[in-house]
Amino acid sequence: MTGHARASHWRPVLLAAPALLLLGLFFVVPLAFLVRVSLYRGGGQSGFGIGGFYQPGTFTLAHYQTLLGERYFGAVWVFTLELALLVTGLCLLLGYPLALAIHHLPRCARAFALGAVLLPKLTNLLVMVYGLELLLGDAGPINAAFIGLGLSRSGEPLPLLHHLAGVVIGKAYLILPYAVLVLVAALGRIDPALVPAARGLGATPLRAFLRITLPLSLGGLGLAALISFIWAMGAFVSPYLLGSPDEITLAVDVQRQVFENVNWPRGAAEAVLLLITLAACAALVTVPRRWQGRGRRVS
Amino acid sequence: MAHMAPMNRDALRLEALRYAYGPGRGAAVAGVDLGIAEGAFFCLLGPSGCGKTTLLRLIGGYLEPDAGRILLGGEEVTRRPPEARGLGMVFQSYALFPHLSAVANVAFGLEMRGVPRVERERRAAALLDRVGLSPDEQRRRPRELSGGQQQRVALARALVIEPRLLLLDEPFANLDRRLRERLRGELKELQRRAGVATLLVTHDQEEALALADEVGVMLGGRLLQVGRPEDLYERPRLPWIARFLGEANLFEVERREGAALRLRGGLLLQDIAETELVGVEAGAWLLLRPERCRVGTAAHDCASRWAGRIVNMAFLGADRLLDVEVAEGVRLRVRARPGALPGATVGERIEVGIPAAELWRFPEPDPPWIDVPPENGARDAMGGTS
Repeated sequence: MTGHARASHWRPVLLAAPALLLLGLFFVVPLAFLVRVSLYRGGGQSGFGIGGFYQPGTFTLAHYQTLLGERYFGAVWVFTLELALLVTGLCLLLGYPLALAIHHLPRCARAFALGAVLLPKLTNLLVMVYGLELLLGDAGPINAAFIGLGLSRSGEPLPLLHHLAGVVIGKAYLILPYAVLVLVAALGRIDPALVPAARGLGATPLRAFLRITLPLSLGGLGLAALISFIWAMGAFVSPYLLGSPDEITLAVDVQRQVFENVNWPRGAAEAVLLLITLAACAALVTVPRRWQGRGRRVS
Repeated sequence: MAHMAPMNRDALRLEALRYAYGPGRGAAVAGVDLGIAEGAFFCLLGPSGCGKTTLLRLIGGYLEPDAGRILLGGEEVTRRPPEARGLGMVFQSYALFPHLSAVANVAFGLEMRGVPRVERERRAAALLDRVGLSPDEQRRRPRELSGGQQQRVALARALVIEPRLLLLDEPFANLDRRLRERLRGELKELQRRAGVATLLVTHDQEEALALADEVGVMLGGRLLQVGRPEDLYERPRLPWIARFLGEANLFEVERREGAALRLRGGLLLQDIAETELVGVEAGAWLLLRPERCRVGTAAHDCASRWAGRIVNMAFLGADRLLDVEVAEGVRLRVRARPGALPGATVGERIEVGIPAAELWRFPEPDPPWIDVPPENGARDAMGGTS
């Protein structure tokens, strides 16, 4: 056993090494590059010539100063946050009941249902989004049914595609499978004897849910919320393709700054600010829980 | 088989209860009649897969029977949900709520009954005091308690609602032997003081015999026999039950030879004239418990004495367990008091006295559908559980 102890000391590091290497090469290095770019002076020669993206060798915090004082960037930041919260809320609202339903299926049916939830993920992202575009469009089947059934008083189609609704639906559609997976896993970790025990002690199914299942799945709900939120904050494809010029998220704006305005430093600075926002949100969700856990152990 | 209770006021009555897990599958509970008197301690004993847990789920309201009735205190509850039955259940895993303190776990049933917070926590704490949890331990969450403490919390949680019937599903399965024996005593005492009718499900025959006022042996979804532990042990209805309840020497009668019986394996049982074996025919089965065998000087009083070589011996403290080969391929298990065979060693030849009057003759042989080896419950002192 003692002989093994020394070897097993290094085993975790060895096992993690390939992933760490990959992360280092393709995440940490580009991230450092990104931060560095955000600190260059922009412009130089305008247009598409080499060296027109930023001025090497310079150092300035000007982009951050501009962004933090700018009304346009503030509006984009707030919209991104609102959109992410909306999508997160929708994912939890749709995902939790769905996860509960899947959790209560017999085992073989459960695997099948999870497969069905993940099925859309087998489709190419763009194909999926174009499909949504067809569905949500003014002449799409949803609006055709809506108008055909006489539900529209004015005869106008629902404002779905190229409106906020379209963006939210698209984004939620992309994220929901992951939220459901996390929630089903969280529910699966609850001892299946607990609800019967609560019922035996006089709890109706609803009270057993509120008093046992819900509190015990809060951790899973938090994790699902965090994953949905982080994902939604980075929303690009769905606002880009399903939204209108009113639905500009940070990611869309970064793309615009970099490719349309050829302002790499400003795009990089926006990306860094997005990252800081996400890190702060993640800390907000995870840190209090850790404190809670410590408090629990002490008491 | 059908245990007929004198009155309808039993704490629990089951009438012709049947249940199958889905159509086309065999009945897990195949027509069970049972009555448990108020205040009685009943143990449902059977090997795994015998249907005892299914029966418990039916009584608890977690499954709905295909046929039959369930009555609690004379009141029919067959189709009622668990929350409307007022039973106290202790699960094998205890099923304590991990996010609630011990005291909140115990108070849960009272909370569901609308008892105000202060009152329910006072009652929960009082009961936890009684099962021996300190005030500090009472504030802890289940995972911060030992297995024995968790078991006590589960028991208190089931008792605090003053249930009409206490249901226990293998409550000692996850505890080590020593703790199990202590908690067994505590449970019995608590149960007697609370005066609550109790149904305990177990596969451990020792546990059932030690705890129960009455034991029901279950196999294949049926109750094979119901009775007091002594009756079941001494006068089992079937050879299978005899072996399931403890160490048993079983003999099949080959033919009668005057006042003697020739047993399969060539052994001769002498002088049965004065015993209950007088009318025994060929094909009957006989039971001789190891502790009924006589060795040493005590063997001389017996008309039948079988000589054989000791092939196996285990010292158990209070007594000694021997396997004696009394005929080709026939091993007799003998329980001897320590002084009875001074200096006996494996390989030595001894004489074993067989008191014909103390043999039990089974009223019927095992029915052909019994194909489960009974050793499931009995602990083999010669080599762990066999």
